[in-house]
Amino acid sequence: MIGAVEQRLHIQVRKYALGLRLAVIGLSSSVSLVFAAIPDRTVAAAVVIAFNVWSLAYAIGMVRGAPGARRWLPVADVAVVCGVCLAQLWTVTSDPRGGATWVFVAVHLVAVTYPWQFGWRLLTAANAAIVTAYHVGTMLADPGGWLVDPSISAWIAAEAALSWVLHRFVLRSARKADLIIERGARLRREVEIASARRAEEREYVAGLHDTAAATLLMVGSGVIARPETRLAEQARRDLLELRRSDEAALGETDLIPLLREVARTGDVRVTWRTPDTVTLPAADAVALSRGVREALTNVARHAGTDNAEIRVSHDAELVSVEVTDSGRGFNPAEIAELRYGVRHSLRGRMIRTGGLAEIESRPGHGTTVTLACFRAGRDPATDDRAVIVASFQRGLRRAVVLLSAAVLLILDLQHLLTSQAAYVDQWPQFVAWLGLLAVTVTAGVAAWRDRTLGRWRLPLLAVVFALSALATASIRPAYLLGWAHWSEGDAGWQVVLLMMDAPVSALAAALGAQYFMTFGQAALAGNAALSVTGAVSASWTVVAFQFSTAMIATVLRNIAAESARQIRATERLRTSEAIAVHLHADRSRRWSALTATTVPLLEGLASGALDPGAKSVRDMCTEEAIRMRRLIAEADDTDPLTAELRACIESAENNGVAVTFAEYGTRPELPPTARRRLLEPAIEALATASGKARLTVVGGLDTVTVSVVAMCQPPPPLADGDGVRRSVVADNERVWVRTEWRGGE
Amino acid sequence: MITVVVVDDHPVVIAGVRAWCALADPPIKVVAAGPTIAAAWLDPGDKADVVILDLQLDATGPAYGDLKRLVDGGRQVVAYSMRSDRETVLNTLDIGAFAYLTKAEGEDHLVPAIVAAAAGTPYVPPVLSGAFGTDDRPHRPKLSAREHQVLIEWFHAESKEMVARHLGITVHRVNSCLERVRIKYANVGRAAPTKAALVARALQDGLLTADEL
Repeated sequence: MIGAVEQRLHIQVRKYALGLRLAVIGLSSSVSLVFAAIPDRTVAAAVVIAFNVWSLAYAIGMVRGAPGARRWLPVADVAVVCGVCLAQLWTVTSDPRGGATWVFVAVHLVAVTYPWQFGWRLLTAANAAIVTAYHVGTMLADPGGWLVDPSISAWIAAEAALSWVLHRFVLRSARKADLIIERGARLRREVEIASARRAEEREYVAGLHDTAAATLLMVGSGVIARPETRLAEQARRDLLELRRSDEAALGETDLIPLLREVARTGDVRVTWRTPDTVTLPAADAVALSRGVREALTNVARHAGTDNAEIRVSHDAELVSVEVTDSGRGFNPAEIAELRYGVRHSLRGRMIRTGGLAEIESRPGHGTTVTLACFRAGRDPATDDRAVIVASFQRGLRRAVVLLSAAVLLILDLQHLLTSQAAYVDQWPQFVAWLGLLAVTVTAGVAAWRDRTLGRWRLPLLAVVFALSALATASIRPAYLLGWAHWSEGDAGWQVVLLMMDAPVSALAAALGAQYFMTFGQAALAGNAALSVTGAVSASWTVVAFQFSTAMIATVLRNIAAESARQIRATERLRTSEAIAVHLHADRSRRWSALTATTVPLLEGLASGALDPGAKSVRDMCTEEAIRMRRLIAEADDTDPLTAELRACIESAENNGVAVTFAEYGTRPELPPTARRRLLEPAIEALATASGKARLTVVGGLDTVTVSVVAMCQPPPPLADGDGVRRSVVADNERVWVRTEWRGGE
Repeated sequence: MITVVVVDDHPVVIAGVRAWCALADPPIKVVAAGPTIAAAWLDPGDKADVVILDLQLDATGPAYGDLKRLVDGGRQVVAYSMRSDRETVLNTLDIGAFAYLTKAEGEDHLVPAIVAAAAGTPYVPPVLSGAFGTDDRPHRPKLSAREHQVLIEWFHAESKEMVARHLGITVHRVNSCLERVRIKYANVGRAAPTKAALVARALQDGLLTADEL
C-alpha cells in the first residue's frame, strides 16, 4: 500500500515539475521570440504559441485528468517535443555568442522534469526519442554548424539521469517516513486499545460494585427478607445497567439528562442547579454520572437525610459536579482510603478519566462531594511532521551531495582536462576543482552522519565563493563563460548543498550572488566566449535545476505538514474503530460470563420467581456477590501502565525488534495524561528501532521512570509537561530515551 | 587460567556459556557442567574457581539451599537465572552469591562477572543494579543520593558511558559508585567468604574507609 506521505509526494511533485517546465519554457521561448534573430518569425511564433498551449494542456491533463488520460498524455507530449526539435530549421539561429537556444532550454527542462512524472521505462524511451530528435533537428537547421554538438545529447541524458536519482532519493525518504509513522501509529494504537479496554473493564467493575453486587449482597445478608417492589425494581435496573455498560463509548453526549436519569432511580430528592446542557465526551459524562450515582447512594445510606443538591458548573477547561447534603456528615480521615466505594467508585473513577474527586465533610455539617473532568483530552501533540521533515531532509541532502559530486567528477573534470589552452595557469583550476570536491565531501560526511553543518556553513560558503572567483580569474578572457569555464554554473551546486537547510530566500540570494559575481568578473574582463546576455540565457537550465532543488526542500516541508495532519486524522479514525471492535468483544465476553450466574438470579428477583426470604436463594446471592467482589479486586490489580507497555512491546516485537523488559519498584497510579506523555517517547523510539531494544521501568515513592535503549533515531523534540520530563542521550547509533514523571510538579 | 563449573539443566545454556568462555580473552576453562548441583561438588567441578548456578533447577522454586551450601563451602557463585524479580535477586545476594545475572544479560556480562568473581572484585550488572536501587527493605544498607542515582540509571541505560553523560560525571565515578554499593551490600550480608574477600579488598584498595561501613 502507498503511504500517505508518498501519495502526497507524487501529487505535489508532479504539479511542481509541470509548473517549473511551463514557467521556464514559456519565459525563455517568448524572450527569444522577441529578442533573438530568428529565420522565420511567423512559423516560429506559431510553434512557440502552439507548444506553450500544448504544455499547459498537458500539465492540466496530468494533474486533473483521469488515470487513463495520464497513460497516453506522456506519449503525445514526447511526440510534440520531438516535433518542436525537428522544426528548429525555422525557429532558431546559429549564433556562437548567443548562448542556448530556446529549444535547447525546452528539451533540457522536459528531460529533467520527466523523472518526476513517470517511471524509468517510459522515461528512457522518451528521453532517447527526444535527444535523437534534437540532434536531427540541429543537423537540419545548421548542417556542420556549432548547433550540432553530440556532447549536448550526452549532457541532456546525464542531467536527466541525475534528476532521476534525486527523485529516487526523495521517494525513498517518503517511503521511510511512511514506514516509521506507520510503525509508531501501530504501537500507539495498541497502547490506546489496551488503555481503553482496561479503563472500560474498571468502569464496568465499578458499575458492578454499585449495582448488581450491592443488591445481591443485601439479599444474601438478609437485609431484604421478603419479595418487595423496591427489590424487584432494583434488580430490573441492575440488569439494565449490566447490559448497558456497553454504552460508555465514543463520541460526545449531554451530561444533564444522564445526571437526571441517575437521580430519578435513587431514593434521594434532588434540588438542581445546572445549565441547560453541558456537552462533553461520552466516557467522561458516563464517569461523572456514575460518580454522582455513588454519591447519592452514600447520601441515602449514611447521611440520614433524603435531600441533596446537585450543582453543575463548567468553563473552558473543567466540568464539575457538586453533590451536597445537609446530613450528619462524617470524618473523612477515618474512612477515606479504606472503603471500596470511596476509593474506587468515586476517586479511582475520576482519576482514570483524568479528572478529580474530592470529599468534604464534618460530623454534623453535611457532606459535599465534588467530581470534575477536564474538557478535551490533552494530547501530548506527537509530531509526525518532524519525522517526515527529518526523513525528507536526509534524503534530499544525500541526493544533492551525490548530484554535486557527479557533476564535478563526470562533467567538470572532462571540461577542465580538455581545455588546457584556455587557462592562464593550470593550478588554480585544479585547486578550485579539488576544493569544491572537498566541500562536497565534507557536506556528504555531515549528511550521512545526520549532522547539521552548524557554524561551519558560512566559512564553507566563503570558501566556495573564493574558489569560484579563483577559477574564473585564471581563465583567458576569450574563453570566459564557454566550455572551459566549468565553474561558472557548477559552483552553484555547492552553494545549494550548503544552503539547503536555510530559508529559500537566503539560498536564492547566495545562488544569485555566485552567478552575479561570475558574470561580473566576465563583464569586467570583456571579450568573453559568450556575450553576458548569451551566458544568462545559457544558465537558464542549470539555475532552474539548482533552484528547483532548493524549492523541493520547501515543497517537502509543506507536504510534511499536510501529511502529518492527514495521518493523524486517519489514525484517530482507525484507532477508534479498533477500540470499538475490542470493546464490543470484551463486552460480549463479560455478558456471556454473567448470563450463566448473575443474570438468572437478578431476573428471578426482578420477576419475583425467587424468594429473597428462602435460604437457598440467600446462599446463591451471597456466593455470587463474593464472586463479583473477587472480580472487582482482580480488575483492581493490573496496572494500566503495565497493560499499555505490554501491548507496546508485543507490537514492537511484531516489527522484528527483540525487546527485553525489566521493571523494579512499586508505582503510584498515574493520571492518564502523564501516562501518555511518559510512554510517548518510548513508543517513538520503538517505532524506529531495529535489532535489540531494552525497555525498563522504575517506580519510586512519587516518581516513575520509563526508559528505552535501542538502535533508533532520536525522537523529535517534545515539550515537558504534566510533571513528565524527557532526556535523550545518543551514543553512536544507540539512543537512550528516558522519561521521568514526578508527582506534585 | 580461570576455571568454572556450570550448573544448569538446559544443555543450550551450557553450550552458550562454553562458547562465551572459549572466546573470552584470556580464555576461561569450563572444567565441568551438569544439570544438578552434584557437578559443582564432584571432581573436577569441585576445584573450579567460579560456580555458575542456575537458580531454577526444578519446579520447587529458587535453589537457595544449594546456594547456601556452596557459599558456606567457600565457593564464588555467580547466580544465572531467568528470574528478575527483586525478591529473588536480593535474597540470592543476601545468601552470599557473588553476583546475580539474568539470562538476558549473559551475552554482555557473564564473562566480566566470572573474571571479577575469580579476582574477588565487585561486579554489578544492570538488573542487580535495578534491584539494589529500588530496595526498600528495612535492613538495606544506607546509600548516598549519587549512588542511588547511578544504580537506577545504570539499570536503565546498560551503558556506563551514557550514564556518565546523563549525570554529568566520569565513567570512573560511575564504576566506583557501583563498587561501593556492592561492598556496602556485602557488609550488611551474612558472614560469608564472599563478604570477607570483598570487604577486605575494598579497604585495601581504599575504595571505602572503615568509617563508611
